[in-house]
Amino acid sequence: MAEEFDRNMWRMLADNLPARAGKIAAIDRNHQVSYAELAAAAGQVADWLQSRGIRPGDRVIVHLGKGIDEVAAMFGAWKMGAVVVNVNIRWTAAQLAYVARDCRARAVIAPKKALSALTGDNALPEGTAFLVQGKAEGLVQGADPWTACPADSGSAPDESDPQGLAMIIYTSGSTGAPKGVMLSHRNIRIGAISVADYLRLDESDRLLSVLPYSFDAGLNQLTTMLLMGGTIVHQPLTMPAEIVRMARAERVTGIAGVPPLWNQIVRLLLDSPTDLPDLRRITNTGGKIPPNILEVLPQVFPGTDIYLMYGLTESFRSTYLPPEKFAAKMGAIGRQVPHAQVFAIKHGVGIAGPGEQGELVHAGPLVSMGYWEKPEITAERIHPCPELAHLLGDAPVVHSGDLVRVDEDGDLWFVSRMDDMIKTLGFRLSPTEVEDVISQSGLVTDVVAYGVEDPDLGQAVHVAVTYLPQADESALAMHCVRSMAHYMRPRYFHAWDGAMPRTASGKLDRPSIIAAAKSAASAQV
Amino acid sequence: MSLIKNDLINYVQTELSADESVAGDTELFSSGMLDSVSMVGLISYVEDKGGVHIQPGDVTLDNFDTIDAILEYVTRLG
Repeated sequence: MAEEFDRNMWRMLADNLPARAGKIAAIDRNHQVSYAELAAAAGQVADWLQSRGIRPGDRVIVHLGKGIDEVAAMFGAWKMGAVVVNVNIRWTAAQLAYVARDCRARAVIAPKKALSALTGDNALPEGTAFLVQGKAEGLVQGADPWTACPADSGSAPDESDPQGLAMIIYTSGSTGAPKGVMLSHRNIRIGAISVADYLRLDESDRLLSVLPYSFDAGLNQLTTMLLMGGTIVHQPLTMPAEIVRMARAERVTGIAGVPPLWNQIVRLLLDSPTDLPDLRRITNTGGKIPPNILEVLPQVFPGTDIYLMYGLTESFRSTYLPPEKFAAKMGAIGRQVPHAQVFAIKHGVGIAGPGEQGELVHAGPLVSMGYWEKPEITAERIHPCPELAHLLGDAPVVHSGDLVRVDEDGDLWFVSRMDDMIKTLGFRLSPTEVEDVISQSGLVTDVVAYGVEDPDLGQAVHVAVTYLPQADESALAMHCVRSMAHYMRPRYFHAWDGAMPRTASGKLDRPSIIAAAKSAASAQV
Repeated sequence: MSLIKNDLINYVQTELSADESVAGDTELFSSGMLDSVSMVGLISYVEDKGGVHIQPGDVTLDNFDTIDAILEYVTRLG
């Protein structure tokens, strides 16, 4: 059954019953649940959604810290056929309100603090149903306390079509506001089947979940464990010492991370080596680990398989480098994952051969359903690829915008993004998003935001700004603290003297502004 | 040592924009109020003001989850 593609998300949890009813499915810091208990907790949420008139296909926002409640909320929505929109708990009230309106969410499941912030400009339409996690005193009007929900009624699950929409993952776009990537039940399930295959996961595995479930690569730790009948161990804190402590205490067999996290964990383990006897593999995604950190990975994780991976939300997971090749090809992203078809394309020419570079493109059953209610942007990103017509006909192909190099064996190496997206702390951040907020301060005339390689953050957000008279860095920094989520805030403000250069069409000449600001910043160091 | 409790509370509330009032025993990280980005800033602030060097292995919930715990930890480092 685990290998079957056409099953909906509720089945991924429910198929473990009754065989694994008593087995531990998920572990929080002070709490753990069996598969039967997790299914009952999800059933309780499904009952609440139905009692509030939510119907199959409606969007339900899950905005919770990492933990068992979050999993129960997602699978509760799937049980009654709703579409899950998991909004990262770190996002601001304004971002949450934007997403809720964009997807026309009918219900929001969140802690009181987050719900209380949905007032004024961020208020949601009347009739939105709210379920409050945790303490409910001074409850937002019209919201229901989760603790008062009756026990699971055991109602029959919705028979959701596996081809249908299961989840919308919002990511920053290159033009301003976040956009929602639509994933079908099948996309997520085949993603789990693929990853469980190449990571060699089975029911004895206990994966540590540090990355958010609102991020496709983070979601995979949960889905692979439920698919295989393993155990997911939640660590909501990203403190390296707490991650290592929990991995050891809970006998974790796999840790998935992103470069800034590996950077911190490696420095901790070099400082105080810790034996993790149960650890079988570690995985990286979301960018390149700096070479000095890659080199010491085998030393701090002796006897552990190291997987370097690459993926995009628009096509879930794309490539991985088998651990046997790690020593010889440190830094490569390898080849296509099982069930995916990945190529490097030279536009107008054909498939890139050994020694050549091209855009990474992805076809097959992991290709997402596109962007929520944005057919034009979907068509720009996901369309047939003329260079592959002889192999794929007019099948949809995701164009990543990432430049890769093909080596003599056919393995791929990441070169750079083809546009300006900033990758910071596992978030994809559009420069426009940062520039918009800075512009709203009324303190600047011109602003350009860009990413600079940073060992702790992946990339750090830097901005070049032309201040208005009487405005200065401290006022602007204060505005950023008030108006931006942590990961969006600039780490460095470059004061530009006078108006910034324009291109012929009157747009800011971004490349030359960024180059000048970067060279001025490095001259200061 | 010139790491003063009120300054530290002030730093957490303004620089790290904790959105609720912070007292000596308020849980900063386990409550989800602060995240790992804040941790980077908090560590350099404490190192700077307290005149101490913080080992990566010391960055734990026990030492950093509350203002009181941070002050106690820095006092122990001497």
